Amino acid sequence: MSRLVRSFAFRWALGIALWSTLLSLLLFAFVYWQTAAFMQDELAEVLRHEARYAAGDTAKAAARIETWVSEDLHSVHFAGLFGADGRKLAGNLDARPPELPLDGEVHRIGTQVAIAGRRLHEELWSAARSLEDGTVVVVAHDTDEIDRAKATVIRALGLALVPTLAFSILGGVLLAGRARRRLASTEAAVARVMRGDLRQRLPVGEAGDEFDRLARDVNVMLDEIERLMEEVRGVGDAVAHDLRTPLTRLRLRLERGRDQARDVEELRQAVDQGLIWIDQTLEMVTAVLRIGEIEHGRRCAAFGPVDLKLVVSEAAELFEPLADDKGIALGIGIEEGASAVRGDRSLIFEAVSNLLDNAIKFTPTGGRVGIGLAWRDGVAVVSVEDTGPGIAAGERDHVFKRFYRAERARQTEGNGLGLGLVAAIAKLHGFPLSVGDGPLGGCRFEMACPTVGPCPTIR
Amino acid sequence: MAKLLLIEDDAATAEEILADLQGRGHEVAWAATGPAGADAARSGIWNAILLDRMLPGLDGLTLLRDLRAAGDRTPALVLSALGDVDERIRGLRAGGDDYLGKPFVLAELAARIEALLRRPTDSRETVLRVGTLELDLIASTGRRGVRDLDLLPRELKLLEYLMRRPGQVVTRAMMFEEVWNYRFAPKSNLIDVHVGRLRRKLEAEGEPMLIQNVRGEGFTLTPDV
Repeated sequence: MSRLVRSFAFRWALGIALWSTLLSLLLFAFVYWQTAAFMQDELAEVLRHEARYAAGDTAKAAARIETWVSEDLHSVHFAGLFGADGRKLAGNLDARPPELPLDGEVHRIGTQVAIAGRRLHEELWSAARSLEDGTVVVVAHDTDEIDRAKATVIRALGLALVPTLAFSILGGVLLAGRARRRLASTEAAVARVMRGDLRQRLPVGEAGDEFDRLARDVNVMLDEIERLMEEVRGVGDAVAHDLRTPLTRLRLRLERGRDQARDVEELRQAVDQGLIWIDQTLEMVTAVLRIGEIEHGRRCAAFGPVDLKLVVSEAAELFEPLADDKGIALGIGIEEGASAVRGDRSLIFEAVSNLLDNAIKFTPTGGRVGIGLAWRDGVAVVSVEDTGPGIAAGERDHVFKRFYRAERARQTEGNGLGLGLVAAIAKLHGFPLSVGDGPLGGCRFEMACPTVGPCPTIR
Repeated sequence: MAKLLLIEDDAATAEEILADLQGRGHEVAWAATGPAGADAARSGIWNAILLDRMLPGLDGLTLLRDLRAAGDRTPALVLSALGDVDERIRGLRAGGDDYLGKPFVLAELAARIEALLRRPTDSRETVLRVGTLELDLIASTGRRGVRDLDLLPRELKLLEYLMRRPGQVVTRAMMFEEVWNYRFAPKSNLIDVHVGRLRRKLEAEGEPMLIQNVRGEGFTLTPDV
């Protein structure tokens, strides 16, 4: 129960119930005030009129107040005509109320009256006027009627208030309960995630409301966390595994060189081969560190305007002889347009170079590789496509991961870090990177480069 | 022979560098800490200083900055385990003339020291000559003897870079940095392919070789006469 009371939904429901009650109260007060004022004004008008009428003609004053009294069916009309000496001349009031001013206005007074022969103390609304001969006419009306009406209104309003409050609170509790039930399953799932089960996902309802949207977002977040965790785990394993291969070779080669080399030249050969494998491992370690550095966004000092047109054409120029030697035609297509983006010129060049290197590596002799710069909705798109074997649809999500080597890459040398580096560079710059089927039959990599980069200026 | 100062705190690394540079005929002194290095550097007798980025007692870049502030222009090469571009920029801003990330190959270090010691020939010269090779930078034309060379713009730049450093070993990384003006380690055969193309144009059938491949180190342009 205390959890319910502390719950956000319950507090909201309670708050709304109290607020609506307060509003009802205000409304009731207004209705009451208006009703009472209206009735009182009506009566006051009548009394003023009667007093003026009775006082208007000295000869008929007595008859007129008798009529006022006799018109009354409920013993609520009172009147009196008193001589200048205070003696009662007519009416059902025993004495002229001494505190009543003779101004013709309505005042509330308490006085003695005779009703059906009985003397009673009554609260009256009264108006008094003096006539020309000094006599005084008093016209009065019982206050009970208005008081009763007021009391009735208040009672009615009070009675209505109780169910209003009750229903508000009930509605609030029901709403809070529903929200709690919806959250309970989410809480259970979150608890399992907190215990370390990253495969758990939050239940997503059909309504598509805030709860569902939040649950969906959290699930996407969990997907990303799970992916990163797996990648970290995978990278650790992959580094260890990929380092062991060249190190094993190195060890064997050095051992054989030491034991079996017959002269210095043979020993030198063993050392040279060993150095090549050490360089390979160092290259891998350096690449892993670089990817780490780039992913942590610690490389912004070299950020500045970069001319993509220049980067693309220079990359094509750099790789053209390599492609040519392999019998691959390297085509370049650059669309005209403002090609300046913000970034690290060297890193962007490295990313494009890696894509080109990859394309040339996997394209068989006689094939084609194309590099291009195009414009799509104001975004510069750098693309690299080839006539290689392509990448299976199921593998496309993985090619940008560190150490992932697609099926096609198993037979080729490489450490599986090239595209990982490209992905890290693209991410640092906020450039979306994608891979799909190319028009040439192989695959096509695309890096979309918006003109505004996320990195700050040089520190 | 050059007098070099090495400021490096790791004894094993220093020992290898000392042995290699001495083997190449240099006279090398070694300081193991920042303050000791700063004292040695102030003597002003060095042709070049190699210093590690991170030193005990006094940071390498601070040392270098102090030295430059004192008006010392001795060429300096910064060595660092931080190979990152940002670090490189910091190193060069502090007054370094070159920057080499660890791990490095000794041959690369030697070639870069050589480059620091032998400043390239006067850069205002617009016609370069090495042996029978002639390069006109204004007209963008090259000739070997009487034979005109058909050179692409990048080949022209590559040849200019080599011709300004005749007889000097330049590594692939140095060429990539200076000729292409990008800073990362390209695949080793990429530069070789470009040098190979240039070489085929320079050395037509029967002509003596101009560009030599120095095994494990890089390339060097040697005059043919």
